[in-house]
Amino acid sequence: MAATERPQGRSMGDRLYDAIFQNRLWRSIFRSGYPNTPRNQMLAVATNVFLHLHPTRIHRTHVKITHTFCLGGLSFFMFLGLTITGVLLMFYYVPSVDRAYADILALETDVRFGQLMRNMHRWMAHGMVLTVLMHMMRVFYTGAYKPPREFNWVVGVVLLVLTLLLSFTGYLLPWDQLALWAITVGTNMVGSAPILGEPNRFILVGGFQVGQAALTRFYALHVIGLPLMAAVFMMVHFWRIRRDGGLARPL
Amino acid sequence: MAAAPQAQAQPVSQAVKGRQRRAREEELLVWPDLVFIEFIAAVLFTILIVVLSVMVDSILLDRANPAVTPNPSKAPWYFLNLQELLLHMHPALAGVVVPTIALIALGAIPYFDNTPEGQGEWLSTPRAWKNTYLGAAVGAVGTTLLVFYDESKHIWAFEKLTGAQWPEALNFMRGLRGIQNEIAWPAWTLDVPLGNLLRADLLGLPAIELDWNIPAFLVEQFIPVNAMVGLPLLLSLVAHKLKIAQTKRDHMILQFSGFIAVFVTLTIIGTYFRGEGLNLVPYTIFADPLH
Ligand code: HEM
Repeated sequence: MAATERPQGRSMGDRLYDAIFQNRLWRSIFRSGYPNTPRNQMLAVATNVFLHLHPTRIHRTHVKITHTFCLGGLSFFMFLGLTITGVLLMFYYVPSVDRAYADILALETDVRFGQLMRNMHRWMAHGMVLTVLMHMMRVFYTGAYKPPREFNWVVGVVLLVLTLLLSFTGYLLPWDQLALWAITVGTNMVGSAPILGEPNRFILVGGFQVGQAALTRFYALHVIGLPLMAAVFMMVHFWRIRRDGGLARPL
Repeated sequence: MAAAPQAQAQPVSQAVKGRQRRAREEELLVWPDLVFIEFIAAVLFTILIVVLSVMVDSILLDRANPAVTPNPSKAPWYFLNLQELLLHMHPALAGVVVPTIALIALGAIPYFDNTPEGQGEWLSTPRAWKNTYLGAAVGAVGTTLLVFYDESKHIWAFEKLTGAQWPEALNFMRGLRGIQNEIAWPAWTLDVPLGNLLRADLLGLPAIELDWNIPAFLVEQFIPVNAMVGLPLLLSLVAHKLKIAQTKRDHMILQFSGFIAVFVTLTIIGTYFRGEGLNLVPYTIFADPLH
């Protein structure tokens, strides 16, 4: 240890850094040190399953808020928030016409933070429809649907439909007058199609009018069927963004 | 894609390196630049949603009762555009055909407009903003006027302005239904037997004997379809003649902006201006939720 190499010994900060980021526990989880050097910063993104949805570098114009207004990311954020609050709501809710409404009432009055959970779930559901629509508009007006991103636009349209269906199926679950009649009006629209409309409506509602069968079906679709499909399509959506070379840029 | 001749003259690796270096200088590291923004956005929106949820409770009406139909009964807000269409045309058209075609057309946008023009920047082509304004204005105003027409608001305006009665001879112009109800159609036009034209039996479904009601067909299907296809085409044609829309991207912006404006206008009318009996009056669900 030549004095020229280490004139002052290791500082307090260095030792703390090593204690936190160079120990076996940290290393076993994150593999790279704290992202304070370009190398570690890239490793942090590339070796983390969640962060590596991103590339390690992106073009500087895409970091500007006004390029995307974060709308795709916010749609995803809403989806995650809805999943979390949705699971909490499932603890207190039984999808039976005899219990559903009472469960919601009890949720609002007896469950600590129950009303808050329900409000958050509902506002995020409305919010997600809005952010997805606005995201579509931003993609359109930035011309980001053009080749090679055609297919990702189509995936996006599927995600838009899934978002609307998620919201629509959730609408029935409180089993109040608003829910029942909104779903009755909505499903009657399906029934108005020539020839195949009525059979389709019957399958969707599980009977001639919206009742227990419809509640069961909408519940199953809402809590597992549609979220799974949305998650799969989001996977494809994010994967394609990377495969198509990141966000669109002027040629 | 194909390497240019000059590029081949020098070592390929050099060319590649040169190109990458230029791009690299324009790039930022995702950590911290992007991750930071995402984190801040997530925190801000978490706060926003919690505050909103503390302040405004979700709506919960009486327990569902199939015997009591609320007046008006409305679908969720993002479907009220379709419910509004339902008032002006055949239910199959408004409820199924229009949304299906709209979604297919939406998905097909990149296959119509596959030029690289204006890619990756907000409305960067020369006439982009003009077409946005034009499409949005025509969509919003046109939709409002059409709804007013079908609700006979022009009669109301005429009688207010002139003090005179709407001339009886023009009763067929009271609204779209006027064509069906105010014209003395010969009896045979109401009931033209078409027989088993649809051949639903070929699909293993019961055969359907069709009776063609010509006036109803005109009002519920022919005129609406022609309006929904023809008016946008007309818009593109006029914009083309006026040299406002010249490229594919121009027309796409024009049509998309028009579509969004129609969508938003119909949603607003359906949400805030359809009251009891779905009449055209101001309405909010919060004012009188138990009706
Ligand atoms: C659940 C719904 C959706 C989610 C979570 C989502 C998420 C995202 C995210 C995070 C991005 C990255 C850029 C950004 O934030 O703007 C993106 C880009 C993109 N999205 Fe979506 N999206 C959804 C729906 C849609 C819809 C409805 C469309 C179009 C109809 C669409 C088309 C695209 C395209 C083409 C890109 C690439 C944009 C570019 O290259 O600049 N997405 N999406």
